[in-house]
Amino acid sequence: MERKQSRSRSAEQPPIPLTARVLSFFLDWSIWGYIAYGTVYLLNHYWYVAYIDWYGRLTLPWWGWPVVVIATFELALLSHSFGHSLGMRAMGLMPAAEGLDRPALRKRRLRHFLASHISIMPLGIGVWASPSEPWHERLSGLRLVRLPQREEWITPPPRWYRTEWGIMTLAILGLTVTLGWHVTGIHLRVLIAGAARPARLWQGLTHPDFTFLIYSDPWLNDSIVGALIESIFMALLATIFGAGIAFVLSFFGARNIMAGSLPGLIVYGLTRGVFNIFRSIESILWALIFAVWVGWGPFAGTLALFIHTIAALGKLYSEQTEHIDPGPLEAIAATGGSRIEVIRYGVVPQIVPPFLAFTLYRWDINVRMATVVALVGGGGIGRLFFYYKDQLDWAKVGAIIVAIGLVVWLLDYISGRVREKIV
Amino acid sequence: MPHLAIDHLTKIYERGKVLALDDVSFSVDKGEFLVLIGLSGSGKSTLLRCINRLIEPTSGRVFLDGTELTALPQRELRRWRRKIGMIFQQFNLVKRSTVLANVLAGRLGYVPTARTLLGRFPREDLERARRALERVGLLEKMFVRADQLSGGQQQRVGIARALMQEPELLLADEPVSALDPATSHSILKYLEQMNRQDGVTVLCALHFLSLARRYGTRIIALKGGRIVFEGSPSEIDDAKFKEIYGEEAEQVEVR
Ligand SMILES: Nc1ncnc2c1ncn2[C@@H]1O[C@H](COP(=O)(O)OP(=O)(O)OP(=O)(O)O)[C@@H](O)[C@H]1O
Ligand SMILES: [Mg+2]
Repeated sequence: MERKQSRSRSAEQPPIPLTARVLSFFLDWSIWGYIAYGTVYLLNHYWYVAYIDWYGRLTLPWWGWPVVVIATFELALLSHSFGHSLGMRAMGLMPAAEGLDRPALRKRRLRHFLASHISIMPLGIGVWASPSEPWHERLSGLRLVRLPQREEWITPPPRWYRTEWGIMTLAILGLTVTLGWHVTGIHLRVLIAGAARPARLWQGLTHPDFTFLIYSDPWLNDSIVGALIESIFMALLATIFGAGIAFVLSFFGARNIMAGSLPGLIVYGLTRGVFNIFRSIESILWALIFAVWVGWGPFAGTLALFIHTIAALGKLYSEQTEHIDPGPLEAIAATGGSRIEVIRYGVVPQIVPPFLAFTLYRWDINVRMATVVALVGGGGIGRLFFYYKDQLDWAKVGAIIVAIGLVVWLLDYISGRVREKIV
Repeated sequence: MPHLAIDHLTKIYERGKVLALDDVSFSVDKGEFLVLIGLSGSGKSTLLRCINRLIEPTSGRVFLDGTELTALPQRELRRWRRKIGMIFQQFNLVKRSTVLANVLAGRLGYVPTARTLLGRFPREDLERARRALERVGLLEKMFVRADQLSGGQQQRVGIARALMQEPELLLADEPVSALDPATSHSILKYLEQMNRQDGVTVLCALHFLSLARRYGTRIIALKGGRIVFEGSPSEIDDAKFKEIYGEEAEQVEVR
């Protein structure tokens, strides 16, 4: 009885901001809305209780929507009155009344719930009218307070799975997974029943045909080894040039280097923004652009990998630079070194080894990406891969997969060993 | 004219609005070994860093040999920093660089930037580095990476780096707080030697009163960013001690 309320030595507290109240309530309302929608969707899936159109839109009879809105509203009110709902938890709030035993508290919670109907239901009039202590709180004596900070705890809190918000989270998670299962059309039965269908494919892949391993395929004018070398070079050049540019740009994208002046911070923000935008565009899209720009072939693929490498490495480099030990920088500034000397002698020695490791790793990734980039005209081994795939020549595809696998594994192994040495 | 003069120095950290230094004024003559004592958070590090402006003071002035450091533009300030050596509690070496590279960094203020960027230091600086390392007894560690050294050795590299500057003033921010008592004494003896033989004025923050008494020619005590004591080591009696360190404090001897 005592425990639940007096988990903290709550002193007099500043009033809860109105936005926190309103947000927490709407959060709860939408959570209940989501649960209601998901439940109906699932019910429909199994028992056809409602009509869901091809776009996944739920169609209810005319009285259905008000019922859903009111029901979810009631549920949100209930969870607000009876404990720590997820919405309150997210805003760091909880309802509390000092020094009451359980039945009395339950009575207050009920009163809180009922009073909410005259306070919140008519467009929240009781909240707008007195934001610091809304009508329903005044009527029930149950107040919304801040969740106690860790330092204020005097008894351990209940385990998360025994709290209301914990259970709500779990329910949402469960519902989402179940919904996702249906939306993505997962059918285990089909997975098992169809296993024999790609038999010819399996047959081809497991019996690779290495005819054109070294000799050129006359149709493509290229061999597997030749195309692989092309891919590796694509990746190599993209990595080297990309890393060079990323290295220079990374200083502009490191907060600890740029901080101190407003223009510095603006450059920092811009650099990071460019990194993030360019990184979020997949290299295959870049390849599409460059294939039109410079024509199909390895050049387009290299450019695509290059752009993506700048963005990806630039971000990694910048973050690494932000995490260096500031001590040596201070020491070098103290000897009378200029800003650029501080970077040369304080920053660079600290970041070069991890940068090398990142760069090797990136080369690794680029070799793998180089195969995919060919799908839209990037050249390299991928060109052979997609050509044979279109011919349904699975044995040759199998040979390419083996070759790629071997090269990637080898690179991975080597770069892994080298990285171990460096860092 | 005093060697170093601090005039109404105040520092308020923007973040958290902390008053770290509150109207501090004192002066130091050439050849003094001045020890700063005070509890953690009393403002020792802030004071030392305001002198060479690693931290910009909020108000107040700092004079070195009559020149107002606090009024200098950045370019000029760097020329003056060459004369002010500094060693740190956490040594502040570049851990992945060699001992030699760390020591040579002490010459950055003297060698033109175009040369240092290529890593080409003049021959006499290499010779100077050799002598500095010999002096702190680390000649054989010249090409070892700094992170391979023990704490005491790292601090000796820090001293060698300061020696390279041929400083007139040495700022030491708790140089021995991360070290054991025996090593502490060996480090402080190097500072004492610099002070006595080379005539370097030393400003050294220390935690232990026993160390302060043993090495300081004068002691300044800070508390909450203000000077609460200034005088010779022998003047600190029990009452003074309690005033500086608080009622519950006990003296700890470091031998
Ligand atoms: N970068 C900073 N930002 C905000 N406040 C700071 C900063 N650095 C120090 N302070 C505050 O300024 C006050 C003085 O700190 P300072 O580091 O100078 O003390 P100190 O005497 O060197 O302590 P210690 O013995 O722990 O090194 C402290 O209250 C500290 O919290
Ligand atoms: Mg300090």
